[in-house]
Amino acid sequence: MIIDQNKIDETIKIIKANGGHGIQKCVQCGACSAICPGVKAGFPLLCRALIKDLLNGLLEENIENSSSWGCQACNRCTEVCPQGVRPQEVVFAFRRYQANELAFSTSAVTSQMNLYETGHAVFTDPKEARRKVGLPEETPTSAFNEAAQQEIRTLMDNSPMGELGLF
Amino acid sequence: MEQIGLYLGCNIPLKNPDIEQSFRKIFPALDVQPVDLEGAGCCPAWGTAPSFDLNTWCAISSRNITIAEEKNVDIMTGCNSCFGVLSEAKHFLETPATRTAVNNSLAKINREYKGTSDIYHVAHVLHKKIGLTKIRENLKYKLDGLKIAVQTGCHTLWPSDVYKVKEDNPYFPTMLKELCEVTGATVCHYSRLEGCCGMGGMRSTDAEKSLKLFKEKLLSIKEETNADMIVTTCSSCFMQFDMSQPILKGRGVIDFEPIPTFYYTQLLALAMGFDPQQVACISQIDRNPIIAEIQSDTRRIKEGM
Ligand code: SF4
Ligand code: SF4
Repeated sequence: MIIDQNKIDETIKIIKANGGHGIQKCVQCGACSAICPGVKAGFPLLCRALIKDLLNGLLEENIENSSSWGCQACNRCTEVCPQGVRPQEVVFAFRRYQANELAFSTSAVTSQMNLYETGHAVFTDPKEARRKVGLPEETPTSAFNEAAQQEIRTLMDNSPMGELGLF
Repeated sequence: MEQIGLYLGCNIPLKNPDIEQSFRKIFPALDVQPVDLEGAGCCPAWGTAPSFDLNTWCAISSRNITIAEEKNVDIMTGCNSCFGVLSEAKHFLETPATRTAVNNSLAKINREYKGTSDIYHVAHVLHKKIGLTKIRENLKYKLDGLKIAVQTGCHTLWPSDVYKVKEDNPYFPTMLKELCEVTGATVCHYSRLEGCCGMGGMRSTDAEKSLKLFKEKLLSIKEETNADMIVTTCSSCFMQFDMSQPILKGRGVIDFEPIPTFYYTQLLALAMGFDPQQVACISQIDRNPIIAEIQSDTRRIKEGM
């Protein structure tokens, strides 16, 4: 592998800007990977392996890899890391890099649209189920509250997410 | 009566309102009054804003938190993901630069994050505020002889440094175990106790990988405990156990009947004598036999005993 210092610097800059502040503290001990349910389930590019690639400047090369989207954000890795890397934050920083390049599955678009329209990422009409259990048909949440939905839309419109054309 | 903001999230009020109803039944009976946080939305879920931009995540989370701040109440949530997302956002908002940026966004909707409301999980309120003794005093049925396998779920355990209430050892959680034992039931240990059920981002990204992880956990429960039921304090884990056991059974991957699964407050509501048609009536797996067993006359606790 050809190591290109410029690529390494650029990659670290992007990961830190996206919230992966601890990446350079990693000593590649592998404690995170050993406890990671994502790695266990067969997503290869998480924890130690992802950090290794990023520290070698391999960013674009992995843009289509879906491993980061298999991360459960469970933070077992953060808890065990002896170096304070907070590997989950690095995984999510990489995911944010992918997301802002629109490198994610189309199924993920639905939850962004749901959130924008109803304030709920997961939305199904709850009326029948709620009536059945003896609750008011409408939830007290944003789902039935136009003003609340408008607030959430304003926050999303005025964010980097608003520039991606997802909603 | 002490008040606490009931933060509902998405799945509980929209898909499993019987869990919401169980909160609304048990807490007032235990002298805690849940108050609605009108207009609260998604926490936001891991696959949405947290996957795009840290400050947008914190802005949407803090909007929810400000609704509780205005009412001078802390927040209680029953969904582990909501608990994790809101707790982490609160942790990030301790950084002055983040707080300033987020409050600039919130100003556009006439809100300001102050940091005055703490985030609790339903299990924390039950275990730490209400306490085991008070729960025991309010039972109508005793569950002696029934065997439970517990599933705490990831997002109340790690990373322990961002949570208001912590387990002594997050890899060996005991709060849910104790909450179940107070009903008289036996909670059996199994080797994959701290294991992930495979729900969450993993389930939507690759269902087969998720099921593989789930199967390993399920077999550990079945072989090591032969539990009568699984009890969880995570609504996502609840959905995985309730939806995926029948899938594995249908495929012939497991040869035993799916194990009935309850969210903890459903079990407690049943043990406190509430109507199963209101607090535990939405599930894929047939729970009627175990519910009838829980609320059978022989288990009724006589007044004054
Ligand atoms: S546990 Fe920490 S130091 Fe060890 S490989 Fe993982 S991130 Fe690096
Ligand atoms: S947070 Fe993600 S990377 Fe860390 S242990 Fe959990 S699944 Fe693995």
